Amino acid sequence: MSAPPQTVPAPAPAAAPAAAGGDAPLPVVDQAAVPFFEIETLRAREFIPAAKEALTSLLKEKAEGNVIRPVFNWAGRNSLFPLHWGLACCAIEFAAAFGARWDAERFGVVPRSSPRQCDLLIVNGTVTWKVAHKLITLYEQMPEPKWAIAMGNCATGGGPFRTAYSVVPGVDKLIPVDVYIAGCPPRPENMLDGVLRLEQLIKERRD
Amino acid sequence: MRGVELSAALAARFGDKFLGLDPFPGLVGRVRFDPSVARALFEYLRDEQGFVHLTMVGGIDWVDHREVFYTLWSDRDRTYLQLSADLPADHPTIASAVPVWPGANAHEREAWDLVGIRFEGHPDLRRIFMPEGYEFHPLLRSFPIHEPEELEVKARSD
Repeated sequence: MSAPPQTVPAPAPAAAPAAAGGDAPLPVVDQAAVPFFEIETLRAREFIPAAKEALTSLLKEKAEGNVIRPVFNWAGRNSLFPLHWGLACCAIEFAAAFGARWDAERFGVVPRSSPRQCDLLIVNGTVTWKVAHKLITLYEQMPEPKWAIAMGNCATGGGPFRTAYSVVPGVDKLIPVDVYIAGCPPRPENMLDGVLRLEQLIKERRD
Repeated sequence: MRGVELSAALAARFGDKFLGLDPFPGLVGRVRFDPSVARALFEYLRDEQGFVHLTMVGGIDWVDHREVFYTLWSDRDRTYLQLSADLPADHPTIASAVPVWPGANAHEREAWDLVGIRFEGHPDLRRIFMPEGYEFHPLLRSFPIHEPEELEVKARSD
């Protein structure tokens, strides 16, 4: 309740110096790279006409990466389904984020109980070596495309139990992580800030 | 009192395998015994002295030897009793208490996992906290101190 959110997106080196200032602006999308329609203001009822237009353009110009990818990115980042899997005290904040006060569903974030239905793994809590291969199994059961968020100091780097014999010193030893969220535990709005950072990363995805 | 009676009964029953009863605050006492009579001592205490409940099993690494201790509870006398046995460091083996008190199962798995004490006759002596394939018993004093990045752990995927 004192410190501002300290969330750093992993593969965005441009955001790193700004994050030290405390009030880091989100990465800005190059609008010139997004053709044909304003992806920012696209609403659900406009999706089908926009998709038709994009598909027509695809057939016409065969510019696959720059045309159809923003549509997929728009759909994917507005329906991030995290796996409902709690490990430690961060899971309490994770659960509170879906309650009435913070209401993560307004961002399309809905926890699902099966990894087959998920595209986001939020590792919330201390990962021990005992549970490590179960974490890897759950991650591998999720269909592509998929993302992972390390929530809290334990998942980011082992936290206060870093030198313990049973604790994995950072979940990125096991799976690729897209966004790291600091805090012990982070507050729900901090977790939602990390999810919005991930949405920015998905928006910039071009591969 | 109760401790004196129990000490006399154990001395009459087990002879020199009963090594003494130390005072222990809040308990009847702390029975030191030779590990060769462990199973007989467990059955005697349960059947004839009323210690029907095993509260915990633990182990300590004293570098030159290892200690295994048991805490028992008697419903009849409403009192605790602690047992203690010294095991050689190169062969820390003792009879399992699971056939006598089934609740010892998880406790003995923990003592095996963390301190490396083997319990002969345990039905399922697997690791309980650390993954299968882990090389160390982490509460031993010989556990290597290292930075976590240097730790190589074979996390078995079973």
